[in-house]
Amino acid sequence: MLKVDGLSASYGDYTAVFDARFEVAAGETLALIGANGAGKTSLLHAICGLCSAQGRITLDGADMHGLTAAKRAQLGVALSPEGRRMFASLSVQENLEIGANTGRTGPWTLSSVTKLFPILGEFADRPARLLSGGQQQMVAIGRALMANPKVLLLDEVSLGLAPVVAQEVMQALAKLRTESGIATILVEQDIRRAIAASDRFLCLLEGRVVLQGASKGADLDAIGRAYFGEGTAA
Amino acid sequence: MIVVDVILNGLMLGGLYALFGLGLSLIFGVMKIANIAHGEFAIGGAFLAIAAAIFLGAPLWLAVIGALILSFVIGFGLQLVLVNRVMGDDPVPALLMTFGLSIIIQNLLVELFGADNRSLDIGPLATAGIDLGPVSIGVFPLILFVVAIALFAALHWMLHHTKAGRNIRATSDDPDMVGMMGMERAHIFAIVMGVSAALAALAGIMLAMRGSITPFSGAERLLIAFEVIVIGGLGSIWGSLLGGLALGLVHVIALRLDPSSGPLYGHLLLLAILLLRPEGLAGRKAQR
Repeated sequence: MLKVDGLSASYGDYTAVFDARFEVAAGETLALIGANGAGKTSLLHAICGLCSAQGRITLDGADMHGLTAAKRAQLGVALSPEGRRMFASLSVQENLEIGANTGRTGPWTLSSVTKLFPILGEFADRPARLLSGGQQQMVAIGRALMANPKVLLLDEVSLGLAPVVAQEVMQALAKLRTESGIATILVEQDIRRAIAASDRFLCLLEGRVVLQGASKGADLDAIGRAYFGEGTAA
Repeated sequence: MIVVDVILNGLMLGGLYALFGLGLSLIFGVMKIANIAHGEFAIGGAFLAIAAAIFLGAPLWLAVIGALILSFVIGFGLQLVLVNRVMGDDPVPALLMTFGLSIIIQNLLVELFGADNRSLDIGPLATAGIDLGPVSIGVFPLILFVVAIALFAALHWMLHHTKAGRNIRATSDDPDMVGMMGMERAHIFAIVMGVSAALAALAGIMLAMRGSITPFSGAERLLIAFEVIVIGGLGSIWGSLLGGLALGLVHVIALRLDPSSGPLYGHLLLLAILLLRPEGLAGRKAQR
């Protein structure tokens, strides 16, 4: 499905990700683990076409190099961005509907998204900026789903949420994972949560992939060391 | 009764001022840039109508519609081909680009039409009046006022009840994120610039119907448009209407009390607003 080869991501003179390579298959969830500034968000932005990138990114074999973010979205890349990035003057329903602008069709419609997150149906006419953080996170995920993506990029979905709300969001994602054939990349700082919600993981340190493997039976201590860059020199 | 007369005339003049501000306000609200060529878009649009009506002999309504459509196309094209190239986090390059465009358009107009005063003849409508007992108001200024209000309402409706409007509001909220919604930001900017240019052209055409214009009239209209949107509140559509009406009222009242004052009191109103209520009449206090 999504294949990344020799990818470097940069903002101006600053290079945030070096030579990343990985694949995500349909229905598979890859967790991107790493500390603040490790390059997780930059890697997602490079896939989306939101920052400059070198290397190959192919989606179902089609090279996406040089395409605008809009074109990639139309091909099936959807992002639930860090900080949720609501369109502040739009209602909840408008925020969801605008996700469908890619023109892609599939199982995700206003009614299926509000079935996944019932509260969004209840608050359909409220301005999105008046929602709580958790509800806004649901809007951001729902908005990405409305595009009926092939690849769903989820950036820090539990950041800043109360544990019980984060739990609720993760449960919805778990449901998604079993029911849909979407290739998902999940960026998460909480190692335990990331491993539980993924099939494979990839650990970034200062822009480089330092560890990757299957999530099932993964050595949390080893990931923890890679996360903080301890013992990688040894 | 002079009071009523002055207020009515002030409001009607304010409607035209508001219309000058409307397009500029739209640009500022969506793209966060100031379009220095806004006055030239207005005057250029009026000259397009004048060219069609006088030189090509088109009927007035056709000349106006043609000029509006052409203005949209020109605004759309200029944004797509030129201004989009310099759009970014820094608003200065776009500002300089539109400044350059304003000079080019002005010189082009002088080259094509000369520096003479020109106007659009609307026949007996120009002098028709309605008697309202003690006061009388001009039919044309009244039409102008109604058109201005209707355009504000139409733009508001478009922004809040159509898909295109929703996309434009989303672009205003977070231009970096609309790409991920499958929309090319550059196209939305171009559409907004086109609409703004057409609105400016309509204001310019009405100005040419009401009085006369020269290729150099743009700068003064830009100043009025700026005053309107600052007084009303930057980026607020309805604020522009409020700002236009306030500016019109102040101009007419001041000219009645102090006939030699010119636009002085309008500028003083701007100064007072900047000192006392910098967010404008309808503006919200800075949030971010």
